[in-house]
Amino acid sequence: MSLQKGQAAIASKTCPFVPALHCAENAGPVSHRPLPFTLEYCFCNPAVPAPRLMTPPSSAPLDLSGCDREPIRTPGSIQPHGFLLTLAPDGQVLQASANLARWTGVDAEAACGRPLAQVIGLDAAERLLPALTNGSLGNRPFYLGTITAGNGAHFDALGHVWDSVTVLECEAVERAEAPDFRNLYPLLGDFLLNVNETQSVESLATLAAHHVRMVTGFGRVMVYQFDRDGHGHVMAESKEEAYHSYMGQRFPATDIPAQARELYALSRIRLIQDANYVPAPLVPAENPVTGARNDLSFAALRSVSPVHLQYMRNMGTLASMSVSLMVKGKLWGLISCHNETPCPLAFEKRTACEQLGQVLALCIESREDATELQFRLEVRRMMVAMLGNLTKGADVIENMSGVFPELLRFARAGGVAVVTDERVLTWGDTPDARAIGELVTWLETEGHGTEIYHTDQLSAAYPGGAAITRNASGLLAMPISRLHKHYLLWFRPEVVHTIEWAGNPHEKEGMPTPTQLSPRTSFATWREVIHGVSQPWHVAEIELTGEFRSALLGIALERAEQMAELAEELGRANKELEAFSYSVSHDLRAPLRHIVGFSDLLLESAGSEDTTMRQRFLTNIKESARLAGKLVDDLLSFSQMGRAALRPVEVDMSKLLASCIDKLSLDTAGRNIEWDVAPLPRITADPTFLHLAVQNLLSNAVKFSGGRDPARIRIWSEQDEHETVFHVADNGAGFNMEYVHKLFGVFQRLHRMEDFQGTGIGLANVRRIVERHGGRAWADSTLGQGATFSFSIPRKLAL
Amino acid sequence: MLKPILLVEDNPNDLELTLVALARSQLANEVVVVRDGAEALDYLLRRGEFAERPEGNPAVTLLDLKLPKVDGLEVLATIRKTDSLKSMPVVMLTSSKEEQDLITSYSLGVNAYVVKPVDFKDFLRAIADLGMFWAVLNEPPPGSFRYTPPK
Repeated sequence: MSLQKGQAAIASKTCPFVPALHCAENAGPVSHRPLPFTLEYCFCNPAVPAPRLMTPPSSAPLDLSGCDREPIRTPGSIQPHGFLLTLAPDGQVLQASANLARWTGVDAEAACGRPLAQVIGLDAAERLLPALTNGSLGNRPFYLGTITAGNGAHFDALGHVWDSVTVLECEAVERAEAPDFRNLYPLLGDFLLNVNETQSVESLATLAAHHVRMVTGFGRVMVYQFDRDGHGHVMAESKEEAYHSYMGQRFPATDIPAQARELYALSRIRLIQDANYVPAPLVPAENPVTGARNDLSFAALRSVSPVHLQYMRNMGTLASMSVSLMVKGKLWGLISCHNETPCPLAFEKRTACEQLGQVLALCIESREDATELQFRLEVRRMMVAMLGNLTKGADVIENMSGVFPELLRFARAGGVAVVTDERVLTWGDTPDARAIGELVTWLETEGHGTEIYHTDQLSAAYPGGAAITRNASGLLAMPISRLHKHYLLWFRPEVVHTIEWAGNPHEKEGMPTPTQLSPRTSFATWREVIHGVSQPWHVAEIELTGEFRSALLGIALERAEQMAELAEELGRANKELEAFSYSVSHDLRAPLRHIVGFSDLLLESAGSEDTTMRQRFLTNIKESARLAGKLVDDLLSFSQMGRAALRPVEVDMSKLLASCIDKLSLDTAGRNIEWDVAPLPRITADPTFLHLAVQNLLSNAVKFSGGRDPARIRIWSEQDEHETVFHVADNGAGFNMEYVHKLFGVFQRLHRMEDFQGTGIGLANVRRIVERHGGRAWADSTLGQGATFSFSIPRKLAL
Repeated sequence: MLKPILLVEDNPNDLELTLVALARSQLANEVVVVRDGAEALDYLLRRGEFAERPEGNPAVTLLDLKLPKVDGLEVLATIRKTDSLKSMPVVMLTSSKEEQDLITSYSLGVNAYVVKPVDFKDFLRAIADLGMFWAVLNEPPPGSFRYTPPK
């Protein structure tokens, strides 16, 4: 009995109860009215207390509870338009359907234990036995041929191996020969031809429905698709005019219990060719190999529930067939066929329908793939464009407001909000800032602060959601900081829509407990208005939002590092800039003041005889002017040093040094200088900058050794695996190590102007150049005994 | 005998111009010149080459801000930390009117801060006024030693 409930459940999707509407219009005597489809619904919903709907006007009382536990694969009987035998590996008959005598004249009980030839005749047995016993059969019915039994009756023979036995099914046919497929080819060919020219899934499905109707001759063929919640939706239909249309209607997911879906995924087609059939049980009832009821999952003749049959009869649908549409390994939908009168459908036509279904499924798969791909491409393109814009400015979050329209399009949202600690920026249609703030607080407390959260029915999860359903029924929330409560929120508005259920899916809850399956009083389509729900978020949108988030976090991280680097760089540049402006006000003003002062003194002394004094004033003026010019030059070169890009190449330091010494010849003319230059290595560095640095050091050495005769300047280098160190030592004035920390600063002098001329920029330049190469500069001295200046250049430049 | 004026100036041109200005102010005070911050402290603290100088602080110290080795602000800080020197008037005499320099100087306890005018006549007047005020009009802190000029 419980099996039958299960079958009833299957029936519900195979022939939607909606047909009831049609039937109701022609309602005859009460007992002929269709069962309320809600009954079917209840059958299949384990959550509902046993409906205790009992005793339909059929022979057996029905226990209608627990559909989803129904062993629908083991009905124990077959449909009687053929007979079924189970065979041992050697072809000996193990079981026979009780209707065997009707078709062959051989009694079922008598057949068991006999060789096949004694049941179906020698000729037929000889024809089939090789295929049945050579191990070539698979576990789905395979057409073995059309046979003529010993009594002269013709059958299409199908064989498959399942549940430890070989199953031979023989469907009665009028012809003695194999079916002629030729009339089917044009139909299939036409379908295939049109498939290529058809773009949308809907039109493909309509095309398939039409062709299935042409092949089968059924009065109504529908294609329905399961949505993500498992509800069925009629998306294509082809019917004869007299048939009622179910286009657009929906069937609750609970119509098809889990085990039925599972079976549909495995067995792609089922047919009930006459709902008035009387099932033929198997004899014996149990599989002798397993000791249990036979698993008839794949048997073409598998019997269905009496409830379902009665249901079909009540609806006036006496034949039905359904073909599973498998897309990417999942039950995508069904092709469902109805006919008001019994409709035998031979194996070859069923095969044709099955193939139509497969082609349709393949087309759907490729169209969906293409659509999906196109969609993803589009979303990704938008994402990349946004990221491009977001990285243009320093503050990624700040930049978000600049790409609001793109953000909106990216998630096909109605409103978007950027939420940071301090503020809420919105675009489009969003709840107000206060509501958004509360929402974010809720997201935090619910632990959605680290991952993307999405819902198309916010009010179902969030208590505050009911107040903002108008523009925020859908929420896609993306945390954009690992540290802060920063979010990017997309809102989708409520889409109030009406679903035409094929019956009230909620009715089970409040239904009085009938004691008998009774006809429904009304079979009108039940319309449900859905509130508080938005368009669902597409998987690709959610996934790409994840990618978007990673990219943003990456950018933020990189940006933070850059900022830290930049801050450091800026700090240094700022210090130098301060020194720069300080010296402009200080050092540059001084020579100007001197020029003015000595000029005035010179003018005053116009009448004076003291030419020495006037000469000195003139010299001072000239020197001051020269110094001012040099200051400007040095400052410019110093600031340039910080800006120009390094162009490192291999530099021969010996050559570089020689050229520096050469350049100093003007300054060294008349001096007695002993140069002691060790062989120097080749290194990688910017030759122009390095030249300047070395020039400065040598020039210093020459300058500060001015009082020595001979002046000794020694240059040498050391090298390890990390760096090359160069030293320039002189025997000149040296400096007090107490002030060594000021040595490399801009405009720092350790000597009086008149002792050693200079602008105080040279060593600052050296340090700057060396540091730009990633090296260090330092100095050592004993006052009055010369100084050694050193710098290092890394072997591997980190630029 | 008048106490001297201590002039701390490293730049030879500034030095010459300042001396010209002081000379024209007709101050009777002797002007002691040192050329960097280290030397200034040596003089004030009577150490190094100035260890033998007679006791007594100058009437005023005219201090340049930018000096080799030890800059003017460091000299000022040392003066204000040294008991024997802290009451001595110190005048910053500098090219720069950088705000930071002003703030630091005053927070270190400078008595006046004078930016050397670019125009020479203004410069002359400024130096003359300075000398007149600090060396003549201003009453030095009590307990100052009388100055004895070197032989």
